[in-house]
Amino acid sequence: MSAAGMVRRNKRYIVWFFLLNLLFAHFGANAFSTHVHAILDHSLYSDRMLHGFDPTVFLEMLFRPDFGPLRSSSALATIFAVLFLVASIVFMPGVLLGYSYDHRISRNEFFRACSQNLWRFVRLFLIYAVIAGLITAILFGVQAGAAHAAERSLDERVPILVQFAGLVIIFLIMTSVRIWFDLAQTRVVLQDQAAVRKTLRPALRMTRQHIGHLLGSYVVISIAALVVFVAGIWLWHSIVPASSVLGAFLISEAMMLVLLGMRFWQRAVAVAFYLDQQMEAAEVAISSRTTAIANV
Amino acid sequence: MPVARTLGSFFLFAAVSWTQSADLSIPATTSAINSPMPLSQRVVHYEIEAKYDPQKHALDATETLTYHNLTGQALDTFPFHLYLNGFQPGSTFVREGKREATRGQDFESWDPQNYGAEEIKSFEVEGQGDLTPRLQFVHPDDDNADDRTVAQIRLPKPVPINGYVQFKIKWHDQFPKVLERTGWDKDFLLAGQWFPKVGVWWHGAWNYHQFHAYTEFFADFGVYDVKITVPQNEIVGASGVEVSNSVNPDGMRTVTYHGDDIHDFAWTASPRYRDFFDTFPGSMGPVKIRVMLQPEHIAQSERHIHVLKECMDRAERFYGPYPYKAVTLVDPPAGSQSFGMEYPTFFTGGTDWLAPKGFLEEPEFTIEHEFGHQYWYGMVATNEFEDAWMDEGINSYSDVKIMDSIYGPEASWINWFGATGGARGRMRPFYMSATDLDPLARKGWQYANNASYGAVSYAKTAVVLLTLEGVIGEDTMMRAMRTYFTRYRFTHPTKEDFLKTIEEVSGKDLRWYFNQAVYGTEVLDYKVLKVSSYPVEWYRPDLKEKKGETEYVSNVWIQRKENFVMPIDVEVKFDNGEKVREHWNGQDRWVRYAYQKKTKVASVEIDPDHKIWVDRDNFNNSFVVEANTTAGRKLVNYFQLITQFLGQLLAWWLV
Repeated sequence: MSAAGMVRRNKRYIVWFFLLNLLFAHFGANAFSTHVHAILDHSLYSDRMLHGFDPTVFLEMLFRPDFGPLRSSSALATIFAVLFLVASIVFMPGVLLGYSYDHRISRNEFFRACSQNLWRFVRLFLIYAVIAGLITAILFGVQAGAAHAAERSLDERVPILVQFAGLVIIFLIMTSVRIWFDLAQTRVVLQDQAAVRKTLRPALRMTRQHIGHLLGSYVVISIAALVVFVAGIWLWHSIVPASSVLGAFLISEAMMLVLLGMRFWQRAVAVAFYLDQQMEAAEVAISSRTTAIANV
Repeated sequence: MPVARTLGSFFLFAAVSWTQSADLSIPATTSAINSPMPLSQRVVHYEIEAKYDPQKHALDATETLTYHNLTGQALDTFPFHLYLNGFQPGSTFVREGKREATRGQDFESWDPQNYGAEEIKSFEVEGQGDLTPRLQFVHPDDDNADDRTVAQIRLPKPVPINGYVQFKIKWHDQFPKVLERTGWDKDFLLAGQWFPKVGVWWHGAWNYHQFHAYTEFFADFGVYDVKITVPQNEIVGASGVEVSNSVNPDGMRTVTYHGDDIHDFAWTASPRYRDFFDTFPGSMGPVKIRVMLQPEHIAQSERHIHVLKECMDRAERFYGPYPYKAVTLVDPPAGSQSFGMEYPTFFTGGTDWLAPKGFLEEPEFTIEHEFGHQYWYGMVATNEFEDAWMDEGINSYSDVKIMDSIYGPEASWINWFGATGGARGRMRPFYMSATDLDPLARKGWQYANNASYGAVSYAKTAVVLLTLEGVIGEDTMMRAMRTYFTRYRFTHPTKEDFLKTIEEVSGKDLRWYFNQAVYGTEVLDYKVLKVSSYPVEWYRPDLKEKKGETEYVSNVWIQRKENFVMPIDVEVKFDNGEKVREHWNGQDRWVRYAYQKKTKVASVEIDPDHKIWVDRDNFNNSFVVEANTTAGRKLVNYFQLITQFLGQLLAWWLV
């Protein structure tokens, strides 16, 4: 089964997650919405942000004593962004199970997979947070040191290039860590493996042995996501009139949907790879048994 | 005999004085200006020879300062500014920066590389000998005994009225790693405030202040002849015109500069500069433009030259001629704190490698602002210690006029990816960040904090003058500015000189405005408080409202929320397209307008012609009865999108 085929067959997962993401974002923007509408709905000055966008007027709005602290709007938005993260942890097992089948799984099967694997995924998330956190801290520390050393250069572009190169390296390493844990999650769900620590070593081995193929796939998908993002912004700027709220909404949500799809494609790559590995292992086992029988 | 002795002393004194005067003078040179005669009353002539060591970031120099006593009284005391001594931990500049932060520093820690010093080795006075031991550090502003930014010398023999005195000073500079404006950064040096500078006699007394966190500088007009010796590979730029540039037998390079009718001299050196030249056809004669760029920024050379020439053109048209033969624009290394600073005929811009073309803050706005200082500071040489608003604020107002003229008022600050904003809009958030802490008239070092200094002396002054323009008319305001420049260039005007010029040209008594906007801290904020419309026969149970037939009583309340009193216009629009314009003197706290018409109020707007830029809140200046939620939904859309993206980003990497 190809990863793209898995995603295509189970498009509904992406749509549900997208709608959940949109719903959470809607709630997260509530405080901001209350403040903004109170200021703008009856004011002619709001025209400056409608026909075109005057950032100086936007800043004026933020500086108004009546606006209320931007912190409260940001805090609520962050909470709902984190809620989406939690929802992803909860529902991802069902998605992985769904990808592993060549037919549509029932709702019961989906939610049973989610409930059975919830605590496992939480544990995997915590382990990942510690490992990735440590690696990230070390990598960014090294990058900062390199950039600091590069500042001794007379050319102002050198530290910028060093930072950029550092970010690329960090991206590749962290993507590899992400692949490791994607495979671990896949294993936990598809093998119904309760002991998550036991699944980490084989997942790491798989990752190391096939890092080129896996990393290549993930990076290509990430680059595709970046292209979608840039193209979306360009399209938005080029064809959507400044005052068209609906046009901006449609283009931006299309971008978000496609970006989400890209991540689901990566998950499908992990599932497809895992299934291929299982098939190969099964073929080897069958072949060994056949040889053993033949030898007997 | 006592009479004879007195007479004898008098004649001896006169003879000594005459002897001094006969040998000394301030040259009437004009080689650095497009004028056949001097433009200022030249008080000083600085002749400096300096040798710079880029390895040690240090300089040894001698200065011969000839001073012409035009004060109207004999002088025996002279203050000298030694600004580089401000870059020491105990100085007033650092203490204030530690307390409230400066334009580039909050002094979280002290880096020894930031140490600067201006150490006088010897101080002689022609005809009076070596007076080095008589030099004393003084602290006119805060009694900080550790501050050595002003030294005073008392002469044994006073300088007579209209007489001359010549100081011969040897000193050593240790440049700091640039913290603020002056110093070194890798192989770059910007030498500003680097030589012992005599104070200004102003309104009957010496006007000299210590170097503070929120002050700049103040000096007299005169002539400068400066020789700078540097290693051969250094490229040097400076105030004035280059007279000679030659390699010495010892392999060092000596560059000589001459400046006429300037009140300061700065220079720069780096082996990395790339020079670009052009000429501006000034109304008094051609002006040689030199742009010294960092190698990474040479792709921006056209942008630099274009905006500079446009600024020179507008400044000449709006205010008056630029009389000097040269102007040098220096591009310091990106991130250097020597960006954006003005010196006569020489200034620093600031940009970085990526500076996008649609965002005009760098380099365009910086270049325009710093060139503007050639007028408001360079030629109209106000006291930057005591009246920071008069150079920074008037120049900020001028920024708006010039940038709007070049780029159009809607996009003179940003025009990038659908975001457009003008220079006057740029001033408002800056002004709003500190509207009521300090008046414009506050002395520079007495502002509450760095934020207030910046907001008030730059942005609040700009919006005050833009509002004044609305009061007296744009044409009148431009005439007033031109008159002020023409009348006070090459002098040191006071705030009243400026304000009275505006009143004179406008023919209006504007004290009511100046008392609040310049001398006071009153805040202006008018608000549409409430709007209501109801049918006249509202009590009839069978009333059916019909557009165009039903008569309504409408009321509009306007409130003055703060203490700044200013007459305003109010425009009331009705459903049927009719408009009524009211004029309110703003004296009371509120006013109500009532109407009885066969139409309802649709909207109310205070200041419909948008002349009042100093109103703290423009959002409450209007009220539309029928809510229009489109702008709000647009912004919420953006915010929601960011929240969505954040959620996806977290899920992408963590799940």
